[in-house]
Amino acid sequence: MELMLWWIIPCGLGGGALFIWRVLRNESRVSGSRSVAHTDRLTSLPEYRSALRRHLRLLVAMVGASVVVVLGALTAGARPVTAEVVIPEQHSRDIMLCLDTSASMSSADAAVVDVFGELVTRFDGERIGLMMFDSSAAQVFPLTDDYVLVREELTRAKGIFDGSLDEQGFFAGTGIAPGSSLIGDGLASCTQGFPGPDDGTRSRSVVLATDNFVSGEPLFTLAEAASLARDKGATVYALNPGDFDYGDAPDQPGATLRDAAESTGGAYYSVDSTESVAGIVRSVQETEVAAMTGAPQRIVTDQAAWPLAIALLAVLVLLGIAWRVER
Amino acid sequence: MAMTSLVHHVRSKMFILAHRRARGMLDGEYGSVFKGRSLDFDDLRAYVPGDEVRDIDWKASARHGSPLIRRYIAVRQHHVLLVADTGRNMAAESLSGELKKDIAVMALGVIGSLALGHGDPVGLVHGHAGGTAALPAASGDAALERLLRTVDAVGAGSAASAPEEQLEYVARTYRRRMLLFVVADESVPTERTERLLRRLRAQHEILWLTILDADLTELVQRGRRRPDIQPRPLRDIERHTAVIGPVAASARVLAAYELARTERDAARSAMLRRAGITEGRVGSADGVVSAIFALLERHRRGG
Repeated sequence: MELMLWWIIPCGLGGGALFIWRVLRNESRVSGSRSVAHTDRLTSLPEYRSALRRHLRLLVAMVGASVVVVLGALTAGARPVTAEVVIPEQHSRDIMLCLDTSASMSSADAAVVDVFGELVTRFDGERIGLMMFDSSAAQVFPLTDDYVLVREELTRAKGIFDGSLDEQGFFAGTGIAPGSSLIGDGLASCTQGFPGPDDGTRSRSVVLATDNFVSGEPLFTLAEAASLARDKGATVYALNPGDFDYGDAPDQPGATLRDAAESTGGAYYSVDSTESVAGIVRSVQETEVAAMTGAPQRIVTDQAAWPLAIALLAVLVLLGIAWRVER
Repeated sequence: MAMTSLVHHVRSKMFILAHRRARGMLDGEYGSVFKGRSLDFDDLRAYVPGDEVRDIDWKASARHGSPLIRRYIAVRQHHVLLVADTGRNMAAESLSGELKKDIAVMALGVIGSLALGHGDPVGLVHGHAGGTAALPAASGDAALERLLRTVDAVGAGSAASAPEEQLEYVARTYRRRMLLFVVADESVPTERTERLLRRLRAQHEILWLTILDADLTELVQRGRRRPDIQPRPLRDIERHTAVIGPVAASARVLAAYELARTERDAARSAMLRRAGITEGRVGSADGVVSAIFALLERHRRGG
């Protein structure tokens, strides 16, 4: 408990003291009074004395109540607050699932979609979108927080990826361009799924599942696509279920994917089995949440209720006494 | 201020408050205060109400067609001694709100003027707790003016009142028979006062004029009836203590005060009556002339 405007109390007390001093000074001036003789004939009556004692008691109570009112009001005016430091969890995240639909990726895609299908039940304010690409990219659903739709779509996508559901046309639009697995184009398309330039109000991340085996002539190289993602303010987390690099050469597909992801501030995960995809996606999700927690914030809550309640009580007492004095 | 401004003021007021006939009556009443007169016939004058009926010269009246009064040459002058409290109690408010000393000046001035009109010299015994002093009996407006100014000089800074001291002084000092005109506020009679007054009464003619004090409860109540007027607090002139309005205005206090005042008035009247002293009461300067008239009238009847 602390006082935000503590200086109000000394100011108020000083003002009160000044007021009392002026009242007393006016009182001590006898100019306004009428001089009469033999007041003792009135003031020494036992009836007068007992009425005076009662009057004095009421006055003392009134002064006391007034002091309580003033102190209560001053205390409330000084804004007593409790401050606590909280780390707010941000729910303003946009997550774009960007899945390579080449045949080698289907089990990994199913795992990614499955994990997000579970995670979306705990989402609150986050938006999620799903895009697939092979030689060209197609949007399954755009960034949305309509979680009913999202869950439906993810369940459907999982069914199709793991083969339990056969739906012609689900992959429509992913093979329009010549070639296959044009990763750069796919990532570039996915980054365009974020609306407008990054205005800093929502964090953006792309979960890119691909083995980075390019066959064909992409319009964007992976590095160019990564820079597009940077421009959009998106972080790319790359998931590679088939890291088959030979040696440490930087032009190996795994290495370029790692470079691209890390150049956006993201991370690269090579996955040995599709079972581990779930764990990785969860850990990505968790690091993402941790990274997105805002700066520690000092939450200040006004605690004016008590002083105000006491002041109100004192006002009621004051009114009661004033009524009795008037009688 | 003119040399005789206070006397002038008193005379103007007498003129306004009592028309010619009444002034004549006042003169007659004053003339009848003293019992026993000389038998040296002087002249006749027209009767005015208030004259002793036994002074009417019936034969002369019959010849003249209207009542005539025999006037006698006074063997000796009557001395009039004014006794006034000049303590600070007299600087307090009276029943009418005027200062009590202003009413006292008016009353002393009226009696003084009447006395001077009859050729009687007027003296003054005045004082307070700090001491008693006397102005010797003298005739003339200047002497009366000096006397009235002595009483008029009372202020809140004067010493406390001690009305018994002046009576004591008179009893101690004067040997000759006089007319004592005592102006006092609503004092509380004590054994000592009564003894003193009995002793003085044996020697002098005594007229007692009580100046009524401000009604404390009336002032308080007026303040309550008229909340638009900011009531001025009442403060005791002697002790400077204040009267707490809301306390004094409670019904029980008002009743107790009223009872106490009635008892006090009755006790004072009874004491003065036992001592054979005629008492008049006056609450305002405008009431002085009629109060003195009534006082003289009652004294003549009663005495």
